[in-house]
Amino acid sequence: MDVGPTNTDAALVTRDGRVVATAKVPSAPEDPVAGVRAALGRLPRHELDGVAVGLRGAATAVTRRAGLRRVAVLRICGRSASAVRPLSGWPADLRAAVEAGAAIVDGGGGLGPEDRVPLDREAVRRFAGAVAGRAEAVAVVGLFAPLDGEQEREAAAIVRAELGEIPISLSADLGTIGLLERENATVLDAALSGFAAAVADGLAAALAELCPAAAVFVTRGDGTLMSLAYLARHPGLSLGSGPASVLRGAGALTGLADAVVADVGARRIRVGALAGGFPEVAVGGAEIGGVPIGVGLPGLIRVPRPFDPAELAEAVDRLQPAAGRLPLVVVGGGADAVPGGLHPEHGRTAGAIGAAVSPVGGQYERIVRLPDRSALPAATEAVAEEARAAAVRAGADPRHVEIIEVTDTPLAYLPGPFVRLRARAAGPPSPL
Amino acid sequence: MREIGIDQLDDLARGAGILGTGGGGDPYVGKLLAREAIRRHGPVPVYDIGEVPPDATIVPVSGMGAPTVLLEKLPAGTEELTALRALEAVLGRRATHIVPIEIGGVNSMIPIAAAAQAGLPLVDGDAMGRAFPEAQMVLPTLIGVRNTPMALADDKGNTLVVNAVSNHWAERLARAACVQMGCQVSCADTVLRGDQLRDGLVPATLTLAEDLGRAVRLARAGHADPVAAALGVLGGVRLFTGKVVDVERRTTGGFARGRARLSAVRGETGTLELDFQNEHLLARRDGEIVATTPDLICVLDTDSGEPVTTESMRYGLRVTVIGVPCDPRWTTPEGLALAGPRYFGYDCDHRPLPAA
Repeated sequence: MDVGPTNTDAALVTRDGRVVATAKVPSAPEDPVAGVRAALGRLPRHELDGVAVGLRGAATAVTRRAGLRRVAVLRICGRSASAVRPLSGWPADLRAAVEAGAAIVDGGGGLGPEDRVPLDREAVRRFAGAVAGRAEAVAVVGLFAPLDGEQEREAAAIVRAELGEIPISLSADLGTIGLLERENATVLDAALSGFAAAVADGLAAALAELCPAAAVFVTRGDGTLMSLAYLARHPGLSLGSGPASVLRGAGALTGLADAVVADVGARRIRVGALAGGFPEVAVGGAEIGGVPIGVGLPGLIRVPRPFDPAELAEAVDRLQPAAGRLPLVVVGGGADAVPGGLHPEHGRTAGAIGAAVSPVGGQYERIVRLPDRSALPAATEAVAEEARAAAVRAGADPRHVEIIEVTDTPLAYLPGPFVRLRARAAGPPSPL
Repeated sequence: MREIGIDQLDDLARGAGILGTGGGGDPYVGKLLAREAIRRHGPVPVYDIGEVPPDATIVPVSGMGAPTVLLEKLPAGTEELTALRALEAVLGRRATHIVPIEIGGVNSMIPIAAAAQAGLPLVDGDAMGRAFPEAQMVLPTLIGVRNTPMALADDKGNTLVVNAVSNHWAERLARAACVQMGCQVSCADTVLRGDQLRDGLVPATLTLAEDLGRAVRLARAGHADPVAAALGVLGGVRLFTGKVVDVERRTTGGFARGRARLSAVRGETGTLELDFQNEHLLARRDGEIVATTPDLICVLDTDSGEPVTTESMRYGLRVTVIGVPCDPRWTTPEGLALAGPRYFGYDCDHRPLPAA
């Protein structure tokens, strides 16, 4: 399924990726579950193993400043990183809609365990007391948490003991190195927790009734899936998922792992790239609702309609992800307006098909100092193992999780060498 | 005397990014720090070199380490001041002015924050006229000024004062200490007297960076060519306009080395190869060397004029490569020994840039 702003698409896809039927119904404003229900009703009746749903409501909630929870921000970094306060640089209206207090407390990790500063547990308790009654959700952001998330979990336990059941977002689950952007993503994640819980509950209830044997998943911005329970805990990961599943669908329909994809909508064409079967992420960081979030969203060039063919050709060429010209795949409701390129059958519902065929994903990263190059494989394997575990937590079948990408990037201006290792893993959805 | 306030920071950061020749760290974090410091303490007075008394004590303040780490471990904003105070304690006298050690990248911004906090004026200039990776690669080394005592401060409050037998040794010791101190430290070193500024600094580079950033911004707003605007300010030469078609990276001896190949677009012919480490260091056009360090090799996004760093070089980027002559003191035999192509491991001599 793909719940867009105008239409909700559905596709019935076999386990081996064959498209049996598709359907397109108008979306119900503010009610993604109604669209899912209607579109599912248009498909031939079938015993479903799983349902994967692409949601775009998270981004809309942020850009409209609607349906957001008030968030208290706890930053664990002591003196380091204290020069720039949480939420500074946010648009005033978004900040007004979300802010419910912030504190910076002693603690935080470093590049290695020896750099760790003990967490000031008493200060965390004072923070919780100060925001009690005001905050509807809490964002916890620890220095170097993507490399060492221990203190974020410790702080979350204290907050929960003080405030009871309250949604708590941890930055280590959401982002990468780059404290301010990861903090922004974590705050948005916490702000979206109400929206996500409502959608997850609504979808679970509707689908339990319509297809009780189906495991339910939703799409993520990196082109993979996560379980409904994972969505409820990490709604921020669904940001950017609409374009991601369209790109994945274009790849599945053509059998291409590498391609440039034009998604032709009513008002604009979104051009993105598929590399190794997954969306190429934006260079220089993504922004949502005026806030830089640093989460890897698909890199897109938007061409308004009616379009200038030269402008579209330039956009397509800019997104060629590797040397040698890749094919152009044209999908979306308005695909007929763009001549040339591959126009796969069922391309009008590429987003729904992309959701149906995508694996469940997870990722992990770490910065290590290698004595020499021969130490790289062992270090990489440790990171890959963590990525596999993350995919399983998101709902992947542990028996079939594979590593889909490993990168090692040396850090500039340091001897060592210091290398930033990152691994992504993916596997088929775990059956119900 | 003029002042740097919050309104100047965006242009200054953009210009400093271009002068970073692909390295030097993104000025973004430095800009946040400078903005915060100016908001609290007010605008920073800036003096021309000629306005500084001969007996003044001018201290360069900077960051050392990995820009990637700086993005996570944002400074408390007090480390620079801690480093400055540690240096003053061993010098036995107070700084009268602050100056950037390098104008390229984030180290253009950190001294602004430091000056605002210390309540000291800045001197309009820097010790490189660009960005370089090592502490001895400064004009003061060429006139016998020592970079020690060198004070380092980390985010936890630790300080260290390095005394060394040479400027190269200070770099070696400080870099090792920097790793122990969390891979990102603040430094105060290479103290200059007022009467040494003419020989020890490239003059008026804060003004240059701001003019450069403003020219690029205005060109873009007026739908004019931002690269031409940059060249108008810098007086360099356009070496190539093309598209990145191949990027190759490897790690040797702990430093990242890379090479990018550009193919021609828009009426250009041939190819350009760029060799980079932390900065862009060498440009070959159709196999022929056309630019080398210490001249500035700046890679700009052709459409926006924004600087393209070595870390963000990737296939498909539309870039224009420009060469800008370095300060002439860098092309003396002593200057080339410090920062010429052979120092960076390339088997070639410095070659003057082609005529514009």
